[in-house]
Amino acid sequence: MSAVLKGLGGLALAAAVLYGMQRTTPGYGEITAPRPVAGKLGHRLEGRAFAIDIAKVQLARTVATKGAARDSNFTTSGVWVLVEGTAEARTESLTLLSAEWLGANGVRYAMSQRLSSLPGMLPGQRLEPGLPMPVLMAFEIPEGQVAGGTLLIARSAWAPLAEQARVDMAGAKPADIRSGLVLARGQGRVPWTVSAE
Amino acid sequence: MSAEQRLTWRRRLFAFVVASVGAAAAAAISFAMTVYDAANPKPVPLAAPGQPIDTGRWTITFRDARTGSIPPTGIKPSTPKKLLMVEFDLDNRSASTSNAFLRLFTLEPPVPNLPPPAFYLARDRSVAGGLQPDMPERMIAAWEWPQAVPVPQQLRLKVTSQIHKRRDNLYGAPGWFDRDPAAVVTLAVGSGP
Repeated sequence: MSAVLKGLGGLALAAAVLYGMQRTTPGYGEITAPRPVAGKLGHRLEGRAFAIDIAKVQLARTVATKGAARDSNFTTSGVWVLVEGTAEARTESLTLLSAEWLGANGVRYAMSQRLSSLPGMLPGQRLEPGLPMPVLMAFEIPEGQVAGGTLLIARSAWAPLAEQARVDMAGAKPADIRSGLVLARGQGRVPWTVSAE
Repeated sequence: MSAEQRLTWRRRLFAFVVASVGAAAAAAISFAMTVYDAANPKPVPLAAPGQPIDTGRWTITFRDARTGSIPPTGIKPSTPKKLLMVEFDLDNRSASTSNAFLRLFTLEPPVPNLPPPAFYLARDRSVAGGLQPDMPERMIAAWEWPQAVPVPQQLRLKVTSQIHKRRDNLYGAPGWFDRDPAAVVTLAVGSGP
């Protein structure tokens, strides 16, 4: 009798341990997740491969482009987010192809491909060590995702174990949404200008 | 060999036989179920135009279909083209930006040698890239129809579906995986500019 009880107890214990292990084992996605480097809006973030300084974030209902390709007006069902900053490679030349806006509810918004051909856009800027380059990013996000957002910047969208800059965008507030912004070609070192309509 | 030893051997053999028979039965039942499902496919539900179709990753609502010669960008092509355009509302229900809608629906039956359609946003007459999550958009798919082939009066579209797995069977990685078609839609083809 006691042998049967012992057997059953062992079986139950094994099942409990296996269930616990199945629940708590990190998945492949978590094991190969990018390595985050945290930073804040307005502060230079130093990673191992690159450094990035997000200086300014502006919000608008529409974005008009002037002087680049053809003049056009870009509307959205949400909000346009224009992020300006400078980026610099640390040890070797590289391009930062991926930037995402991580909303407060965990949804990730990639850079809008509708403005991707403008001069100064992050994926089009080749970064060299020691030469800070001005970079521009444009996102389309729902209004509810503006507050509490985080900017995720990495060398590519799927980069297992690679470095990912996470910039806390606490400075962006829904109260600052303008009706329209104009994105024009710049003359000096910065290849664009952003002005209110 | 003592009597006790012979007993343990017999018990081991018995356990081995039980395990083998169980495994063989499981494999046979699973195989039979797969064969039965393949032989008796479930009918694909029909959806009406204007009715939202839940495909797992997307919610799609077909609006109308028309032929025309000017693409949704409004720029007249340099050589005359016959375009078949389907207008629909699309909502990305996943947690990240995606352009997987490129393979969301197909013509039924398939037209041989038809190049895949180009996708446009009705907003600002622009070319569609990745669609942002939770931001529904009116979109237009445009097929460049061969001049020699007549455009059908009724267009049948098969909409695929996908499910999200937190851990796939191979790597244990999260991802979207194809499932059975979600619906078949029939649209009357009108003519536009």
